[in-house]
Amino acid sequence: MNSEGDMLLLALVVLGGSLVAALTLLGVLLLRLREAERRVSEKETTHESVLDRLQENEYRLRTIIESEPECVKLQAEDGTVLEINPAGLRLVDANQAADIVGRQIYSIVAPECIDSYRENMRRVFAGEALVYEFKAITLKNRIAWMETHAAPLRDARGNIYALLGITRDITEHKQAEEQARRHQTELARVARLSTMGEMATGIAHELNQPLSAIANFSRGCIRRLRSGGMSPNELIEPLEEVCAQAERASDILRHVRDFVRKSESQLKPMDVNQIVRAVIKFTEHEARQHRTLVRLELDPHLPKVLADAIMIEQVVCNLVRNAVEAMVEANSPRREVVIHTRRFAAQAVEVEIADTGPGIDAAVIDQVFDQFFTTKREGVGMGLAISQSIIEAHGGRVRAESGRDGGAILRFTLQLSEQQAHKRERADSLHS
Amino acid sequence: MNEPTVFIVDDDLAVARSLHWLIDTVRLRVETFSSAQAFLDGFDASKPGCLVLDVRMPGMSGLDLQERLAAQRINIPIIFITGHGDVQMAVRAVQAGAFDFVEKPFNDQDLLDRIQKAIAFNSGERDKEAQRAQLRALFAGLTPREREVLDMVVEGMSNKAVANALGLSAKTVEVHRAKVMEKMRARSVSDLVKMAMQRDAWSKL
Repeated sequence: MNSEGDMLLLALVVLGGSLVAALTLLGVLLLRLREAERRVSEKETTHESVLDRLQENEYRLRTIIESEPECVKLQAEDGTVLEINPAGLRLVDANQAADIVGRQIYSIVAPECIDSYRENMRRVFAGEALVYEFKAITLKNRIAWMETHAAPLRDARGNIYALLGITRDITEHKQAEEQARRHQTELARVARLSTMGEMATGIAHELNQPLSAIANFSRGCIRRLRSGGMSPNELIEPLEEVCAQAERASDILRHVRDFVRKSESQLKPMDVNQIVRAVIKFTEHEARQHRTLVRLELDPHLPKVLADAIMIEQVVCNLVRNAVEAMVEANSPRREVVIHTRRFAAQAVEVEIADTGPGIDAAVIDQVFDQFFTTKREGVGMGLAISQSIIEAHGGRVRAESGRDGGAILRFTLQLSEQQAHKRERADSLHS
Repeated sequence: MNEPTVFIVDDDLAVARSLHWLIDTVRLRVETFSSAQAFLDGFDASKPGCLVLDVRMPGMSGLDLQERLAAQRINIPIIFITGHGDVQMAVRAVQAGAFDFVEKPFNDQDLLDRIQKAIAFNSGERDKEAQRAQLRALFAGLTPREREVLDMVVEGMSNKAVANALGLSAKTVEVHRAKVMEKMRARSVSDLVKMAMQRDAWSKL
């Protein structure tokens, strides 16, 4: 027992952290214990008095652990709780030791954390001292985040027989962290939306110039023709102006496309599912405000695609917001957006965004990707056009259709990254 | 010289040319300027007409130009052309005394109607201003004594009362009064009263 006690002390020393005060005491105890041992050999004190001292020390140690304000517990390799102090009982919402001692620690670990918990247990029993976090569901079904400093406990022969864990509740800390993260993504979303908005407004303003000029020249012609007295020759000059302005307008659009294409260099192998999940984080709040359920049906075994994550996020964001807005505007009773990801043919991945809104009128289905085509009261008609440019710049395709049960379905494809790499290799070898 | 002119200020030359082409159809004189500064430098304030002004321009904006004109007491009516989503700017312009505004893309007839209205308004203002100037000139032609006599006459004082007040003979007052009527080109005392009231009204402005 005496070396076990030592080991326990040592483990506590290793764990350190919040136990500074206790450790100081324990350090003193350890010194005294060693001194006692030395006295045993040197002064050949009676066996009884040594036992007494050891018992006294164990009693002290136990008192310290019992009164320790943080949870201190011992666990067996299979996860059975061997011992736990009163603070630990309070932490897991147990009324008495029997509620948890002798039972599996996994009974209070949240299902999604069990695998990582097992792995951490394995490492401690392999001799490592660790700090790990996990989500706990206490005996009273309270959800709490815990942080454990764990160390292996060894017996006299050096075999690890238990895990010593000092655990504290870090839920508040976690929540603060979570809030900060949410704030960050919200900021990013606002920044992104305002950039998009600015870009769209800028393009609208730019295009208004040649369009106004075209309208003025044309109307000037019409008025002159109506009132008579205009020779066909006089029409040539203003009509040339009209043509020049139409070209100017298309130059502006070409410029937008080039702008979008320029970011091609940022293409990296990306996990589409990860992109979708990131977008859902931005749009979740908005969707919930509009009583819209966003459901993900993501194929977990997708290969990576070559993509600029920010741009694809923008596309998914556009499509999801379009879906939500369409359902809100149509006052659809059931509002659901389902995002599917799946393998598409051999070299691509397809992302599908389906809603339960009014769908797309067959008469306009070919126009939805046109610039300035919009069905929204406040829309500028750039969202899908920009999305299409982005996807095409990625070498993918976008399609829109109406669902069999109503609702709109928008799909786009992205090329697999290996396939892209192949192509480039082939192109390189052709050049050389 | 007195034919009204539509002054177009737009940094976008194609838009300026197209407005010129459109406004030509109602046979109005048009002058275009490619910047607010060019307009300030080259515009002849004596010409009647109106100003068609793009709100957004690099350098001095339409609103800046409006401010400068107001500071120089140039009262040409301004029709602002605003782009998509510039409603706030338009509101500011109207609050600062703009005659009107049209939003791009605008209807041609609508713009032309507003231009005609602005020109009519400007010509009315100019007529009034001309009358004012004429009246000022008439008053300026009076001697100090004649002005005193006039002020008393329009207050309804008799020749005798005026003579007493000024320490003159009734005969002399009679002569001054006839001179005043002649110089002011008034046919009756009531004409004089009207002129004096107008002068007082303007001086309050």
